[in-house]
Amino acid sequence: MSINLGYFFSEAATSFRRNWVMTFGGIATIFLSLLLMGSALLMNSLVTDMTRDVESKISIKIWIHDEAEDADIDALHSQLLATENVASVVYFTKDMAMERFTEMMKDSPQIIEHLQDNPLPRSLEIELVDTQEIEGVLTIIRASEEFSRIANPPDNPEAALDYGEGIVEVLLDATQTARYVGMVFVGILAVVSLIFINNTIRLAIYARRNELSIMRLVGASNGFIRTPFVLEGVLQAVIGALLAILVLLGVKSFLFPGLQETLAFINFDFSNALMTQIALILLATGVAIGILGAVIAMRRYLKI
Amino acid sequence: MTDLESRLDQIVPEPQFSPRANRGPLMISMKNVSKRYVANRAALENINVEVAAGEFVFIVGHSGSGKSTFIRMLLREVIPSSGQIIVAGHDLGRLKNSKVPYLRRNIGCVFQDFKLLPNKTAFENVAFALQVIGKSKHVINTQVPEVLRLVGLEGKIHNYPHELSGGEQQRVSVARAFVNRPPLLLCDEPTGNLDPQTSLGIMKLLERINRTGTTTLIATHDQEMVNYMRQRVIALDEGQLVRDQDRGVYGNVD
Repeated sequence: MSINLGYFFSEAATSFRRNWVMTFGGIATIFLSLLLMGSALLMNSLVTDMTRDVESKISIKIWIHDEAEDADIDALHSQLLATENVASVVYFTKDMAMERFTEMMKDSPQIIEHLQDNPLPRSLEIELVDTQEIEGVLTIIRASEEFSRIANPPDNPEAALDYGEGIVEVLLDATQTARYVGMVFVGILAVVSLIFINNTIRLAIYARRNELSIMRLVGASNGFIRTPFVLEGVLQAVIGALLAILVLLGVKSFLFPGLQETLAFINFDFSNALMTQIALILLATGVAIGILGAVIAMRRYLKI
Repeated sequence: MTDLESRLDQIVPEPQFSPRANRGPLMISMKNVSKRYVANRAALENINVEVAAGEFVFIVGHSGSGKSTFIRMLLREVIPSSGQIIVAGHDLGRLKNSKVPYLRRNIGCVFQDFKLLPNKTAFENVAFALQVIGKSKHVINTQVPEVLRLVGLEGKIHNYPHELSGGEQQRVSVARAFVNRPPLLLCDEPTGNLDPQTSLGIMKLLERINRTGTTTLIATHDQEMVNYMRQRVIALDEGQLVRDQDRGVYGNVD
């Protein structure tokens, strides 16, 4: 077997040298597609973190008008506590609201001083277990009689509900769209690199068609005939993948620290575990493309 | 030539029996074999042939009579439209694609155009055939010089094909076909590119190889050679088997 291994590698290397322009093309396309794929994966993790951050801050506020009965408020309060997906319900009195407002406005105390009496309404503030399922809780609130009695303003109950309407939906939609667009791009590039590698291998096969026909004639097994070419495809793919991984690591080490200072609200500090995971995904994808490209190119020649 | 023959006689014992008269086990069996490349015209029509192990057989006929199809079907390069072919114990109709290489290791092939690799020496060309079926360096280094000596090329084993004459190139090609000691040797117009004198040398070489017990099939339209050799002749005409004759001649197939 030892001579065979040597044979396979030397055949692959020879063909590599002979068709270096095509080989370079194959490496370059696979490098680009994997680089894009890696960037998309990083971006994905970034956006996921951001959405999770925004989502976790979402809560439902019910504004209560000043004449509302305490009994109604208590009834709604306990009904909500019993509702599925509700993590906690906090009742804010006028004083607590004022306190919070004062805290928020501490840089301009004169605004507070100008207030005659406390104009702030009371509120019920609801934290959710799963912010994705916010609609269910909202429906229950809207259907509640107590809610329509305590809502502030009383003539427009919808205005009494405050849950950052639409922000989450918009964000999730945008993320989803970005993900799809990214996937399509990565897919197209993967196909392009597949075609490129396929072409390179085809040229290599063409250059050696006489040898191949003799190999088939004297009974070399398909595996034996195929191996050098598959090896060549894999070699191209691995080089492309390693380049892409190097560039991503470079960006992480040299570009992101600078960006972090400018864009402090985004967390650019990717964990090593994530980077390793992405590197492995890129390598595996690259090798798969390399093998697939070579096998497709060989298929026609191995038909008896 | 006589030099070569005397050397071959040392290596190869004279046959103890006349293969045809004393039939051994079957090497090739074709039953009702037909091949159509296009729908209505048959390249081969209803062929029934049996060849015993150790026979020497000429397949004769004009261009387009089906000789090449006949040879290529035995190699399973062409699959018959109908009928059964058994070669060296393999039923070709049931042979999986992945097993075809193992069939071919039992069959040596010689072609009109030699099919040598121009960038390899005679030694390397023959060695290549062993290398790609996974033989060790040791086997290659002992068998290749031996078979090249057998075909009379011991002085030219490191020459490239372009440094050899046509006859010598065909000898390399025969050496490559025979180096693995296959039980069956198929030749498609082996002397098609050679002058009569050189052709005779190749034919004698093939006959010597046949005497080692190797079943030998030669497709040819070289009348002189067939008439000279007086071996079994199978004649094809427009895809039909028109004659199967022991110690036959090329005859008048017009």
